[in-house]
Amino acid sequence: MSTAAQTAQGVPPKPAAPSKPTTLWSLLLHNRLAAVGLAFILLWTVIALIAPWIAPYDPYATDMANKLQPPSAGHWFGTDNFGRDILSRVLYGARISIWTGLIAVAISFFIGVPLGGIAAYYGGRTGTVIMRVMDVLLSFPSLVLSMAIAASIGAGLSSAMIAVGVVGIPEFARLMFGQTVSLREKEYVEASRAIGVKDSVILYRHILPNALAPLLVQATLGMGFAILTASSLSFLGLGVKPPIAEWGAMISEGREYIISGQWWLVTFPGLSIATSILGFNLLGDGFRDVLDPRLRSGK
Amino acid sequence: MKKVKLLSTLIAFSVMLAGCASSANPQTPAATNSANSGAAAQSAAKPFLTVAYSEGGTTLDPAEANDLTSDTLVLAAYDQLVTYGIKTENGVNLANTEDIQPMLAESWEVSDDNTVYTFKIRPGVTFQSGNPVDAAAVAYSFERVASSSSGSFLYGMASIKSVTAKDDSTVEITLTAPNHMFLQIISMYTFSIVDQKTVEAQGADYLKTNAAGSGPFTLEKWDPATEAVFTPYEDYWQGAAQLGKVTLKFTKEASNRVLLLDKGDVDMAIEIPPKDVSALESNSNLTVASNASNRILYFAMNSKVEPFNNVKVRQAINYAIPYDELLSGVMYGQASQMKSSVASNTPGFTDAGYVYEHNLDKAKELLKEAGYENGFTFDFTLGSGFDDWEDDAVLIQAELAKIGVTMNINKLARAQFLEQQKTHNLTSYISKWTSFVNDPGYHLGFLMYGSGSSNYNNYQNAEVDKLWEQANAEPDQAKREELYKQAQEIITTEAPWAYLYEYNRIVGMSNKISGYAFYPDEVIRFYPLTKQQ
Repeated sequence: MSTAAQTAQGVPPKPAAPSKPTTLWSLLLHNRLAAVGLAFILLWTVIALIAPWIAPYDPYATDMANKLQPPSAGHWFGTDNFGRDILSRVLYGARISIWTGLIAVAISFFIGVPLGGIAAYYGGRTGTVIMRVMDVLLSFPSLVLSMAIAASIGAGLSSAMIAVGVVGIPEFARLMFGQTVSLREKEYVEASRAIGVKDSVILYRHILPNALAPLLVQATLGMGFAILTASSLSFLGLGVKPPIAEWGAMISEGREYIISGQWWLVTFPGLSIATSILGFNLLGDGFRDVLDPRLRSGK
Repeated sequence: MKKVKLLSTLIAFSVMLAGCASSANPQTPAATNSANSGAAAQSAAKPFLTVAYSEGGTTLDPAEANDLTSDTLVLAAYDQLVTYGIKTENGVNLANTEDIQPMLAESWEVSDDNTVYTFKIRPGVTFQSGNPVDAAAVAYSFERVASSSSGSFLYGMASIKSVTAKDDSTVEITLTAPNHMFLQIISMYTFSIVDQKTVEAQGADYLKTNAAGSGPFTLEKWDPATEAVFTPYEDYWQGAAQLGKVTLKFTKEASNRVLLLDKGDVDMAIEIPPKDVSALESNSNLTVASNASNRILYFAMNSKVEPFNNVKVRQAINYAIPYDELLSGVMYGQASQMKSSVASNTPGFTDAGYVYEHNLDKAKELLKEAGYENGFTFDFTLGSGFDDWEDDAVLIQAELAKIGVTMNINKLARAQFLEQQKTHNLTSYISKWTSFVNDPGYHLGFLMYGSGSSNYNNYQNAEVDKLWEQANAEPDQAKREELYKQAQEIITTEAPWAYLYEYNRIVGMSNKISGYAFYPDEVIRFYPLTKQQ
């Protein structure tokens, strides 16, 4: 992605550091944008974990007497058309979004990586078939494909997770494919093969660890994508079921109220989606900068 | 070289496709264009009307039309044998469905035993094609309804046995038994008179995408995704319409329709969300017509599925509905309380047996008596497309949670929802209903009669069925209404539905528009409308 390169160049040369950072984390923290991204992610993760303790109200308690109240001291983010506290719903929504992102990326990762590895390692017809199927999946716009999957297995949170997960598979498969193609010719892989190590062990022990860096970048970026796509599905009515507090669904429910002036129904869940995705994208770019030796040596 | 060849073939092919697409467009036959070019010059001086509609319609075939937009398109392009009269109540024009007025039939006679109707066709009336409207076309149109998939139920409900063209201008319709709803049913868009000669020349599918009627407007264009355009039929027998052009803009999002109307980009908009009514009323260029309608909204419980096969459980749900919150919070007062399975403005309505109010203690007590002291979990199917349904569902869900009942809301797209409903297997759902013939016999026949075609929640009561059958054969209006009242009381007590509310029909329009009348079928008739320029 071009943004990665720009980000890397956009970071001003650091003043002579007292000690040259060497570990992944310290490198990452010296990349300011990545640090900002990490901060957003940590913030939302902590919120997701402790939402029940910090939410000022029950996110599902309706109070028709206080509906559509603008932000105030009592309701920081205002109330929605059922009088539910939007701040509490946004905080609870973090749980759904982070959880959806994790599960979806896990599905993509644990299916995509083995497929890509097998396709590259064995090559031949198996490889061709697997990778052509991946190409077919990639040829659909991701949101359209996830909508088709979610619609065919029925709306709901778990089907949204599966849909988003399946859509992410080809990215991981292609990445792993590329890595494996170059790694399988390395001497240590040939040596292992020569002494009779099983293929599965070679793939898992020798190839995967060396291919992990780009996969990690993809997984981080994929989290942002998964959160956005899952929210889009909920916005379109294919995600969570009412009354679950989910950011995309909240925007969908609130959009009817924009023209009548109740901006807070959509603004706060919208900002939440934006900041969480920004966090994952910045961190992903940071990972890429740190893990790519060519970029690192440039500094 | 090979690539260039391939490319040029592709281009040629796509040009061919494009050519096909434009020539296949059935809405602009060359003949109509040339015939209308003179008319276009005349109509240019007349004002144009633009209306924002919510949906784009599915068919133009009168016998198959079964949604608001399709019905509207059909009524603009076709005439019927007879039609509804108009009355004025509190300065508002309303259709009077009991008052049947002549249309293509100039007059009619009824035999002494009320089973044979003889219609005299108005002389000199022509279809838009120029063919004369005659008795043969009427008989043909009725046969089409009889063999259609959507209209045939109405054909049966009107008790029609045979339709015969006696001579060019006389049609005799024989009924299987006297039927008090007959004239009201044949006034519906379903029984529009179609141009037999044109249809026979063009083939059976012609009417799906084309109009062949004698109505006040000629269809210029219909694209369900964007718009439909009508121009006046200059030789219309009642005189050409006052409008030079009518455009229906299909605008799915309610907020967009509100914006278009508010900014003056359209002259009328239908399906205005209740929450936007007060803002539109403050716009001095607009009038908002909000009329009590007979469109009802109910929460249906499947009488064959546990635990709703238990009357007490259904009654308990009725006590758990937050009626006032639905009326004020969701509908902003643009609805009224529903107290029977029949709308309150239907002749023969009674609220006998209606005892329900929002009372969670009573609901719990009934659940306990039914053996569900600890509550239960059930599936609820929510069809998309109506914002108030989802709001109602969420509020009901919150109330039911208070009595230990868990309601799982499954959302379905509207088309899927309608399909699922037809399986009779949904455990519970919210649905609306409008009886185009404002009569309890018609209404209950669809919804509460054991084998009614829209009794999707499987309500069965032998006594209700018997009362309905008795009433249908009863010629005396007062006695018939008495029978319907007995049926309503049984139904309300047995609570196959929880009654949510009766909608107001909300149409927003520019102050320049006059001539609007409200019909129970909610279709806007464009012919009587005029617009100041």
